[in-house]
Amino acid sequence: MLTVLLPAVYAAAVIGGISVVLALMLSVVDRIMNNYGEVKININQGQKDLQVKGGSPLLSTLAEQKIYLPSACGGKGTCGTCKCKVTSDIGPHLPTESPLLTTAEMKENIRLACQVKVKSNLSIEIPEALFNIKEFKTTVDSIVDVTHDIKEVYLKLDNPFSISFKAGQYAQLVIPPYDKIKNENQRAYSFLSTPQETGRVGFLIRLVPGGIATSYVHQYLNKGDSFRIIAPVGDFFLRETDAIMLCVAGGSGMAPLHSILFDMVNKGNTNREVWYFFGAVTKSDLFYVEKFRELEKKWPGFHFVPALSEPKPEDKWTGETGLITEVLDRYILKLGADREKEGYLCGSPGMINACVNVMKKHKVKEEKIYYDKFA
Amino acid sequence: MKLSPDQKKVSEKMRPGVITQGGFLGDDTRLLPEIIQKDEERMEYLKTDWDMVSKVLRRFLKEGKKGLGEPITIDEKWLVKVDESRGFLPCPFGDGLHRKTTVTLKNKTNDKSLVYTALTLHLLKNHHFLQGKGSFFRLEPDTLKEVLEL
Repeated sequence: MLTVLLPAVYAAAVIGGISVVLALMLSVVDRIMNNYGEVKININQGQKDLQVKGGSPLLSTLAEQKIYLPSACGGKGTCGTCKCKVTSDIGPHLPTESPLLTTAEMKENIRLACQVKVKSNLSIEIPEALFNIKEFKTTVDSIVDVTHDIKEVYLKLDNPFSISFKAGQYAQLVIPPYDKIKNENQRAYSFLSTPQETGRVGFLIRLVPGGIATSYVHQYLNKGDSFRIIAPVGDFFLRETDAIMLCVAGGSGMAPLHSILFDMVNKGNTNREVWYFFGAVTKSDLFYVEKFRELEKKWPGFHFVPALSEPKPEDKWTGETGLITEVLDRYILKLGADREKEGYLCGSPGMINACVNVMKKHKVKEEKIYYDKFA
Repeated sequence: MKLSPDQKKVSEKMRPGVITQGGFLGDDTRLLPEIIQKDEERMEYLKTDWDMVSKVLRRFLKEGKKGLGEPITIDEKWLVKVDESRGFLPCPFGDGLHRKTTVTLKNKTNDKSLVYTALTLHLLKNHHFLQGKGSFFRLEPDTLKEVLEL
């Protein structure tokens, strides 16, 4: 019996040995092949020179050096936000980049930093404002429901303990692993608080079914929890002109407009005429109404126009009804075509497109309509 | 049942953290072809047509967008809310990119509801894949029938 089994045992041992040797060789080759050593990154023609370890995506390599490019998906190559110009030759665009870049951007050598691996010396160009983006360690100061699906979250800044940002800008919330989510994720949320409140920042988070960040905030985040944010990011902020401001938002889109309007109040900048259209479905979806009614009393040129698209009989709603675009359409007509206007929008891409179309119909110049198009 | 190399590749992409954080298979221990086969059998048993389901869900997605991020009532029976996020998700089967659009659909008459995405809809129509049990975006054939009243 033993004589029959022995050859099979030997064969198994030999195959096993070969497998181990092959695995070791692969591991060694992998180490050699993927060891890119020290690599230099030149930013904005010498404005900053970095010496980094090669082999990782540009986005995370820069983040390790405390340079944070905006990223709504945390480097998964799905949002197309982490665009930057790479001026050195790093080969053609990858199939994972192409769908998220326009032809013009590709011609300009714009790349997705999360998809480009740092393998050799690189020269890149990024907006100077990105150098001001920092990571903040915070503690949840308060977390309250403002509607059945929107939470108001305030974070106390621990390190650094104060922040400087423009009202209207946003932060990347770093969502830690939880439940079945094994990796960190980042999602963009606009500041609700004003820049004058330097030690504390607020956000409005609306629950999106299956949403990684929103589910975490709604189901797991508690007062006293530690939380990280990367901020400030974004080009949505008040333009200092005399034009009539047409502000439109719905749901958690309230946040940046709340920040902009109360920043104006804090600065005594209340000479402008402002119309704030806020869309909701029923009365239970409205919030901060009293706050804005109070603001109307202090600021004669400020007008708050909440509108319900499907008011319930028990709401006894006597205000505006219809989709917010319909309400906007009616009001712009009343304001007259000859007066200069600017649009400030926050909401889903669909809502923004619809509002832009209404404004353009009423001769508001497209370049005077400002927004950050994210949900 | 053994997986073909292609099916292995697709199943790999469906794991948590590859395309979406939660993945597409949930806690389901069955292999991909078995999940699809069982759902096809259930749909047939319920006399629910894949193309019809897809057509109706697509209509709700399109009509729901008119709510501009807020819930909207369609045909006085269905409450639809469409949430749009920045970016796209690739199909794990490798045929196309889909906008990150989530639809919450509620039948106001029987209070039954379901959640689907543009990608879920594509997986249903093109691959008869309703996702594994335990996956957040799993579409149960019985729930589809009840919510859509087909």
